[in-house]
Amino acid sequence: MSDHNCNCGGNGSRHCAPGNGKMDRRSFLRKSTVLASGIAAIAASLAPLRELTDLGSVDEFLQKHYKELSPAEMEKALERIRKEVERQYGIRPHLRDLKPMDGVEFVYCLNLTRCIGCRKCVHACVAENNQSRSPEIQYIRVLKMPNGTFDMEKGDHNYAPETVPEKGFFYMPVQCHQCKNPPCVKVCPVDATWQEADGITVIDYDWCIGCRYCEAACPYFARRFNFATPSVPKEQINSDMAYLGNRPRHKGVMEKCHFCIQRTREGKYPACLEVCPTGARKFGNILDPDSEVSYILKNKRVFVLKEEVGTLPRFFYYFDV
Amino acid sequence: MNADAKKSLVLNGSAIVFVALAGAFLLDLWGRPVATVPIVPVAPDFTNTATVRLSAAELVRTGGDASGLDCYVCHEKGKTPVIHFGTNNLVILPKEHEDLVMRHGRNDRNDNCYNCHDADNLDMLKTRDGHKSKITESSRLCGSCHGPTYRDWEVGIHGRTSGFWDRQRGAMVRQDCTSCHDPHSPAFPAMKPGPRPNQLHPEKDVAENGKETH
Repeated sequence: MSDHNCNCGGNGSRHCAPGNGKMDRRSFLRKSTVLASGIAAIAASLAPLRELTDLGSVDEFLQKHYKELSPAEMEKALERIRKEVERQYGIRPHLRDLKPMDGVEFVYCLNLTRCIGCRKCVHACVAENNQSRSPEIQYIRVLKMPNGTFDMEKGDHNYAPETVPEKGFFYMPVQCHQCKNPPCVKVCPVDATWQEADGITVIDYDWCIGCRYCEAACPYFARRFNFATPSVPKEQINSDMAYLGNRPRHKGVMEKCHFCIQRTREGKYPACLEVCPTGARKFGNILDPDSEVSYILKNKRVFVLKEEVGTLPRFFYYFDV
Repeated sequence: MNADAKKSLVLNGSAIVFVALAGAFLLDLWGRPVATVPIVPVAPDFTNTATVRLSAAELVRTGGDASGLDCYVCHEKGKTPVIHFGTNNLVILPKEHEDLVMRHGRNDRNDNCYNCHDADNLDMLKTRDGHKSKITESSRLCGSCHGPTYRDWEVGIHGRTSGFWDRQRGAMVRQDCTSCHDPHSPAFPAMKPGPRPNQLHPEKDVAENGKETH
């Protein structure tokens, strides 16, 4: 009788596996070494996944569109974001969802005679709105323009003289114009950006898919994309946050000026206006006939940028004549 | 080479390749994305909301050292100081007032202390039509010459505003003329601009006529 049927000519189980399919010790060890090293190689090739800490939670993934959230669901989402901020930055933010106020439509006016191009608005905005410091994201771009032209091609945003203003130039800060006919909203394939009743075009950072169509559609270069994970130093985070405003963003979403929703919907002036040393910036409710912006629109010769593209901006420039 | 040796060679070989691959992946021999240019944090000056200068009114309101506003510490009451003019018709400043820069008005047409200061009471200001005001309430005096600007300032169009646009929620804070303008040299001072936008590829930008194009 024989319990093995190999044809190696050896003497039984010493040389080859017995008939029930078991392999011998040497071949088992060798094969498992190859298998183990193969698995190690695959695991090592997936190592970059360890850096994916910015994935977002399941709750975030399952969260509904902003406009479909019930008050209870909104509170749940706010609590989730508060916890995320607390984990990441070590502070409990004052985060809330601010709705547009009744009878309010915001308008911005900027006096180009007064602007000296000091860029304080740019940096106050970055600090207020928790924009990424590195890579750098800024909502406001200040253009240095030669006197006597509005040819945007002649604008220079890299000027760095010892002091401003320079003779023969004027300075034109450009940010989101909060258009009444916004091309960025029209092109969004997922309705992640829309115009609110008070005229502010907002973005739901949890709904944005990062296709950057809106960036391409905007004629004012107002929208910015988070190509990398935004980095804000812990000690510089602004804890006064709004859901549609300055709460921290993830990698891969758009952001832009929202007229400091966390300030303006509570009656305050935006940060760029507060910091402007010359008072070139004016902001207010155009539906209030006694507001500063109403006075400017009634009494100054205002104009909008790129009027011919039909965006109907709520951002007006003017000169003191 | 028999079949067994061949098999063992293949198995050993693949094990070595796998281990080498694992090592290469872990050490990331394919390299990481190119390191970005480190960005220097912005100086706090550029996010500071303070006015460019301290007006007399603000100095008094905040309880600062207002001794410099009391003219009669040095001057004698009831005695009008005489202004000396040089050959070019410009005021010669006494050495006690040497820190002043007299540049109010183009072509030095406003180069006389008593255009604004009251000759009879140095603690007061006086408009051309005789209206007197305290040094801490100078805006009306400025407005007596700069009418359109004063009108704009009154409605909140000229000059800085801060606080609340919504008056029901809080007050709008206004500034005096002298919070931004030195009354003796009122042109708004030139300032150092904040850092320019960070360039991702500085060396390339310099090559392109020192100007970034995007």
